Amino acid sequence: MADTLRLPYCAAGIAAAIGASLLVSDPYVASVVNLVSIAALIAVSLRFVMLIGELNFATAAFVGIGAYTTGSVLTIWDWPFGIAMISGGIAAAAVSVVFGYVTLRTKGPYFLLIGFAFTEAVRIIYSKSMGLGGNSGMVGIFPPIAFDPWMPTFVMSIAALLIFVLYVIEKSDFGKIFTAIRDNEDVARTVGLNILFVKVACFAIASFAAGVAGSLHAVVNNVISPGDFSFLLAAFALAYVKVGGEDNIVGPIVGAILLVVLGSYALGLGGHEHIFYGAAIVLAVLLMPEGVTGLLHKGRDFVMARGKRNAD
Amino acid sequence: MQTVIQLTLTSLQIGAVYILFSLGLTLIFGVMRIVNFAHGHLFAVSALLVAVMLSWLAGMGIPILPAYLLAVLAGVTASAALGFIIYVFGFKYFQRDMVGSFILSIGLVLLLDGIFLEIFGGGVRAVPEILPGSVEILGASVTQQRLFLCGMAVVITAALYWALTYTKLGKALRAVSIDHEAAMLQGVPYSRLALAGFMIAAVLAALAGALIAPISIVTPVIGADYLIKGFIAVIIGGLGSIPGAILGALFVAVIETVGSFYLDPTSATITIFVLVIVVLQVRPKGLMGHG
Repeated sequence: MADTLRLPYCAAGIAAAIGASLLVSDPYVASVVNLVSIAALIAVSLRFVMLIGELNFATAAFVGIGAYTTGSVLTIWDWPFGIAMISGGIAAAAVSVVFGYVTLRTKGPYFLLIGFAFTEAVRIIYSKSMGLGGNSGMVGIFPPIAFDPWMPTFVMSIAALLIFVLYVIEKSDFGKIFTAIRDNEDVARTVGLNILFVKVACFAIASFAAGVAGSLHAVVNNVISPGDFSFLLAAFALAYVKVGGEDNIVGPIVGAILLVVLGSYALGLGGHEHIFYGAAIVLAVLLMPEGVTGLLHKGRDFVMARGKRNAD
Repeated sequence: MQTVIQLTLTSLQIGAVYILFSLGLTLIFGVMRIVNFAHGHLFAVSALLVAVMLSWLAGMGIPILPAYLLAVLAGVTASAALGFIIYVFGFKYFQRDMVGSFILSIGLVLLLDGIFLEIFGGGVRAVPEILPGSVEILGASVTQQRLFLCGMAVVITAALYWALTYTKLGKALRAVSIDHEAAMLQGVPYSRLALAGFMIAAVLAALAGALIAPISIVTPVIGADYLIKGFIAVIIGGLGSIPGAILGALFVAVIETVGSFYLDPTSATITIFVLVIVVLQVRPKGLMGHG
């Protein structure tokens, strides 16, 4: 078990990332680090549901639910910061259990399109709820003042912790059922597994992560509005997963880092965000179907094979 | 009574566009088993070009009706060209790959969104009236333009239905959508048909865009709203089913119209969403789905 987890690598990676985030002092770099952490968490959550073979476009809705929950808890009820962060995840997970229980009986295109419709419906509800600020959204969602200098470290630690937990679940025996369902649901059912329960569990875990990502988004930006949580958010997350590669959990993280950093650079040059992300997705699916990590693996295998041949 | 007639007429007007839209979506899904989110952009290109060309041609002093026909021709050609490009360089490689094709289409959505904004600007375009005046039907007043839209939609839908039922191409398309391997064993050239199905869908979207341009405000993101409703219609009817798409589109249009009249547009949208979930509980593959 410990062997398949490759714990030393994980620990080194997380420690290096958090260590590096401590060095960030420039506000622009700090904002990019925050964006990358949140984007990576959302992308990993999206990929987590892809383990059961479904494309979950409701991710955007759950990020929104997390953000709005944290926003309400902080600005309307004035509860402590820690509770506000957790409640975002819990609210998203709770909604996802109901939504998942009802919709996960459908599959493939139907589930995908229902998730898409759900995202749009939830977004309309925000914009019509005056208590949530209507179309202009909520303002003044601040973390405690003492947190301010440590924001990138805080955001990255939470994101890294959750990504690590999702990774452990994926590698556990329970996680193996996910891939079994993706490969052949009927076979998994014949050995007595409760498919719907496993699917809903997977969906709820992923939505918890998405909800916390939303909470982080709310406290990092201080302002949220319905427009932040359209289906485009899920589309961007999909771009991270696709460009990075979906075979293992490093893929979405690599994709998020690459695209967010390049994207904010392109914005600085006056480029168009949509064109940039769109072109990235189109080129990624056409030219490297397994993403950057898949390409690196292939490159490594190629070099190894050549080395072997030379040695023979 | 007058309210009922007015609501029925409005449902039919909205439904006419949804039908043209969802017929394309369901045709593409049936033949290629792909989910194409960029379909809304084929619709938008045509609507935008009609709006631009019409103002331009009318400005040169050409009478409004010939100008409109020229503009429609340009719009449909542009949409068909765009459809051909995205098929040949993209979707051709993702047939029967639902996730891959969907991701590609999302990429295209973002890319085309950006490009349209660059070319056409984000502003709202008003299109001059083509057929001024309105008529009375059983005491309810309808503008002639909307009546024209309904009539054209019925004609196009009937023509497509006829073509799918009786022509060789239509029969082959239906065979492929039921079982593409069995169809290929009978000598149906699958890859050529996939292109044909995709192009028919592109032209349907283009015609819908050209018809909607005069009675609506045209923006580069006009496709998004219709796309959502079109997909909901297709889910309700069952992906890949032609009668299902027509039924679903009318269903969505009726709920939207009646809901907006008695409640408000927001509640109508949410009602549609709840109904989709209810339908999927009873029929997880839509009312007429089989695939």
